[in-house]
Amino acid sequence: MADDRDHDHDHDHANPLHNHPPLQPDDESPPGRHEVMTEAMRELLVEKGVLSADDIRAALENIDSWAPSKGAQIVARAWTDDAFRKRLLADGNAALAEFGIDSGGAKVTVVENTDRVHNVIVCTLCSCYPRAVLGLPPDWYRSKNYRRRVVVEPRAVLEEFGLRVPDDRAVRVHDSLADLRYLVLPRRPEGTDGWTEEQLAGIVTRDCMVGVAEPRPE
Amino acid sequence: MTGSFTPGDRVRVIRAHPPGHRRTPYYIRGKEGVIERICGAFPNPEELAYGFDGRPAKTLYRVRFRQKDVWPDYAGAEIDTVDVDIYEHWLNPA
Amino acid sequence: MAASNDPGRGYHDIGGEPGGGPIDPHVTQAKPWEKLSVAIGNALGKGGKKVIVTDETRRSREEMGEDLYNELGYFEKGVEATSRLLIEKGLFTREELEARMAAIEQRIREQGR
Repeated sequence: MADDRDHDHDHDHANPLHNHPPLQPDDESPPGRHEVMTEAMRELLVEKGVLSADDIRAALENIDSWAPSKGAQIVARAWTDDAFRKRLLADGNAALAEFGIDSGGAKVTVVENTDRVHNVIVCTLCSCYPRAVLGLPPDWYRSKNYRRRVVVEPRAVLEEFGLRVPDDRAVRVHDSLADLRYLVLPRRPEGTDGWTEEQLAGIVTRDCMVGVAEPRPE
Repeated sequence: MTGSFTPGDRVRVIRAHPPGHRRTPYYIRGKEGVIERICGAFPNPEELAYGFDGRPAKTLYRVRFRQKDVWPDYAGAEIDTVDVDIYEHWLNPA
Repeated sequence: MAASNDPGRGYHDIGGEPGGGPIDPHVTQAKPWEKLSVAIGNALGKGGKKVIVTDETRRSREEMGEDLYNELGYFEKGVEATSRLLIEKGLFTREELEARMAAIEQRIREQGR
């Protein structure tokens, strides 16, 4: 049974301090305390010369360059180019660099799904995530229930996501809580012979690369 | 960046609960597993957390644990495992 | 059972903690201020000015107290932790931050965002 604090964004909306800020800039509801705090930090850091406006602009631009489509390109290349696949498994950062992706200092490690092993990623201590190739983590990845449960009952959690792993295929959970960031290399599905890299990338979703789903043709 | 262990070595995570910033999760303390790989050497997060430089760097290992060894009531398959990245000073030979 | 009921277990250290409910698969998009909060952290961090490191912000999250940790959302926790860390490091004071927040709130009330 979930208590009402389980979900990352499940706040008490009756309390004005917890009102979410509006999505639209012209929304006139009051901003939340931490939205205001963010803006205050930005102003103070720029005024004191710790950060320049351009530093912040560049960091925002960099965040907008993060996307699961980056990870999908890498997976599709690994499916079609075995030498790349080997490089990717041996040194994630070097393989990412071939795509011009800078992981921002994180050591990206790729784990490969096979007919014998299914990998799934979590960070039980916070929400570490390979942002450069997957973007910001989805709400469920950050949720306390996912962090609590996937490490102890991964098969039940995967079934909630609609993925049943047969008992003769090991489920391998990776608790990604130190200096490495993990990306799952899913199995290439049947029925994709002759597909282009671009077509293949189109079926590789974020959830496949975290390990709570598998790619399906079409 | 060589540590004391090599892949295949059996290790036991130290069962201790010191205060402060630690990256070894509670559930894995005291459990026995196998070194899967040496991940490299990284500044010690327990020092970085308080503004120190984390030197000397600590070897980080990926340790593989059988789920049945971690959770006595584990309901999944026998072959299921959990991999946790653990710094050298939290590991002893098993 | 709360993690903190176990001696030596931090409130953030919840892997395997009993009592977890269903996982809500709904995904929201980060709002502009949420992205800004991440951008500030990155600009201050390893890829930027190197004023803070990941383990410091992690530690700050672990020190804000269990009630606040459980109450705040993901990005809010990040902002809270970063602001506490920057105050600790002397980049600005708590008073400066609160005064600036009050000024910004007034500005938004009068002029909108």
